[in-house]
Amino acid sequence: MKTKILLDEEQMPRKWYNVQADLPSPLDPPLHPATHKPVGPDDLKAIFPMELIKQEVTTDRYIDIPQEVQEVLHLWRPSPLYRAHRLEKFLKTPAKIYYKWEGVSPAGSHKTNTSIPQAYYNMKAGMERIATETGAGQWGSALAFATMLYDLKCTIYMVRSSYTQKPYRKSMMHVWGAECIPSPSTRTNSGKAVLEKDPDTPGALGIAISEAVEDAATHANTNYSLGSVLNHVCLHQTIIGQECREQLAMVDDYPDVVIGCVGGGSNFAGISFPFAGDKMTGKHKDIDIIGVEPASCPSLTKGSFTYDFGDVAGLTPLLMMYTLGHDFVPPAMHAGGLRYHGDSPIVSRLVHDGVMRAVAYHQSEVFDAAQTFARTEGIIVAPETAHAVRSAIDEALKCRKSGEDKTILFNCSGHGNFDMSAYDAYYAGQLVDYEYPDELIREAIGRIPKIQ
Amino acid sequence: MKRIGFIVNPVAGMGGSVGLKGTDNSVAEARRRGAQPHAPDRAKITLGILKENTDLAFVTCSGAMGEDSAKEAGITGYRVLYHYTGESSSADTKNAVRTFLENGIDLVLFCGGDGTARDVLDVTGSEVPVLGIPAGVKMYSAVFAVDPASAADLVLACDRHQLRDAEVLDVDENAYRAGHLRTRLYGIARTPVLAGKMQVAKQVYEEHDEERAKAAIAQFIDEIMLSGTLYIIGAGTTTEAIARRLGIKKTLLGVDAVRDRRLVAADCDEKTLLALAGKSPDTRIILSPIGAQGFILGRGNQQISARLIRKVGINKIIAVATPHKLAQIPYLYVDSGDTALDREFGDTIQVISGYRIAQRKKIHQEWNGNCPGNR
Repeated sequence: MKTKILLDEEQMPRKWYNVQADLPSPLDPPLHPATHKPVGPDDLKAIFPMELIKQEVTTDRYIDIPQEVQEVLHLWRPSPLYRAHRLEKFLKTPAKIYYKWEGVSPAGSHKTNTSIPQAYYNMKAGMERIATETGAGQWGSALAFATMLYDLKCTIYMVRSSYTQKPYRKSMMHVWGAECIPSPSTRTNSGKAVLEKDPDTPGALGIAISEAVEDAATHANTNYSLGSVLNHVCLHQTIIGQECREQLAMVDDYPDVVIGCVGGGSNFAGISFPFAGDKMTGKHKDIDIIGVEPASCPSLTKGSFTYDFGDVAGLTPLLMMYTLGHDFVPPAMHAGGLRYHGDSPIVSRLVHDGVMRAVAYHQSEVFDAAQTFARTEGIIVAPETAHAVRSAIDEALKCRKSGEDKTILFNCSGHGNFDMSAYDAYYAGQLVDYEYPDELIREAIGRIPKIQ
Repeated sequence: MKRIGFIVNPVAGMGGSVGLKGTDNSVAEARRRGAQPHAPDRAKITLGILKENTDLAFVTCSGAMGEDSAKEAGITGYRVLYHYTGESSSADTKNAVRTFLENGIDLVLFCGGDGTARDVLDVTGSEVPVLGIPAGVKMYSAVFAVDPASAADLVLACDRHQLRDAEVLDVDENAYRAGHLRTRLYGIARTPVLAGKMQVAKQVYEEHDEERAKAAIAQFIDEIMLSGTLYIIGAGTTTEAIARRLGIKKTLLGVDAVRDRRLVAADCDEKTLLALAGKSPDTRIILSPIGAQGFILGRGNQQISARLIRKVGINKIIAVATPHKLAQIPYLYVDSGDTALDREFGDTIQVISGYRIAQRKKIHQEWNGNCPGNR
């Protein structure tokens, strides 16, 4: 019985899979924030290269991965698929649990799967610099790595509280040559406006997004880059699920359940879209696809499916998605990467149409699972990833009850080596089980928000 | 330089060891039963940790009310501002604190129990922060550190930006000796907070700021209030912030009733609340945990009785509390006087802690009447 299922470099997928090709009807278009008319490519040109804009809207089923991108991905891809023998034994489950280990990338998570092609297309388009935001630093470090490879400058607006408190992610960005600025900063008008009102603000992701977008929009040599949510980002991540399908075929298996954690939705999209395609095209109708979100920020399970802004300030196009409202500031939980008010429009659509479903967990039950995983399989996962682990364990425990020998696959999206303070808090009994007071909100004002 | 007014109630806690359940008006009886003062020794532990710190200046009282502990702990350079003779009294505590305030201090550090806390608060109000080294029989008030060593940490942490509200409770000792716990919210003191403890999360938000947190809770409650519904609003400063947001002047230490942003009745007793709820098709109860232990029901708001909750419905309770307060209490407690009702609360409760944010908090169900807060 194999533990690691490995593909050779030449078996790495050469195309990204675009699930938009298999949607029964087209996605609702993004709307201009001011006119509320569908945005066209020209509206996005100021901050994105044309190749990425095309990928955002195309319905072609497969898109070639450029040779130069493949070469970089080979630094860690194909990533290993593990059979979690020890976890299965510990859980006494008849289920088979597989996990795709994305923590092997240089930055330690799946984020590099999209930072590399995004930097590449910007380089090709003649850009000299990319501006972005980062919360806890996962995305910032992944983009810093990618821009370095293609000789681009990189400016990262990092939420100020994280900048002070998460020094190691910042150090990684510096090693890879990026400039990391605490946000809000005096570099942008949006940053200055916030600082004038509240000089001691700890910052927030929504403010950092506004700063990075403004930086890109006001400098001709600079583009903006986003680490999740958008269609092209999800597209780049589908290499994960395609590899999984190949790897499982090597051991004559196919998943009954596919699981990923959801913040903006990209790692979940990455592992699940190829399987969602199989489901929608009728090849595997019964596959259960589960997105796992925090109870404190449960956009898929408690949000509304409606048009909303991607950022707090309302500068981005309106996206049709599950959202808790763009003015919702999720509480300071440890899985910082899942603190997003909305979700990928494609993931939202698939959940809405019943192709996928979502579940939500509290912080402490998630860390219980992370501990179990570390003590059986060895890997200390990121708090975000721990959500997927929780759900995988629960599905396996259901199998123990029912006696079913299901095949469970989950995306082990990143390591927690820089998140040990979160584990310390868990052991100190200081984890707070935040939750979204859904019932009170619903009975008073219905689902929110309503953008007119 | 932080100026600390340090005072010990030497007889605090003496009643406990000899079965008197408190020491108010019964020091002589406690001594007769063989009780020994222990508060000066507990104070000594705190001061022993603080003695190396050159940034602190102590003023205190003579003898067992402070000087003895200071001297034995190795504190140097303290000044004795208040002298007393005979058995120390409640009046001595008040007069001493008054003298401290006249001389200008940044913190009153007292060693005692709930009775001492009341005496100190009578003089300080919310003007000067107060911190208790626990030494009493009953300690329901939220001004107490967990133990003498934690009190030292809090003294060092104390500055004006890191304070929180702390309820001081009044326990009727005569009723208590007869087996009835009757508490009433006596007042609100200000007490230091250890800010560092909250900052383990990936991102720090406004949580260190109590006023901001209260305003955020109030904004949310305002947003979810239903028209025509009667809201029974419990005591405390978090619920007061809600009333302030609605433009209502609330009884800080009592229970008010509000409908459609208008005050229906102020400082209600149980009977009034039952009558109002009886006439209202929909009633909600907004409560904040009170005191050091985090009682949602049964401490300081006994107007909100088991009968009232049964009438309104247990699911109509909206609990609110700031993140800091919740961080200090691992469990919440419910003591409605009706154990069957207490059990119906289950193991957890949702507590609104911010704007559209709640925490799922554990309820301690198995304390078997073994009151936390009693020593």
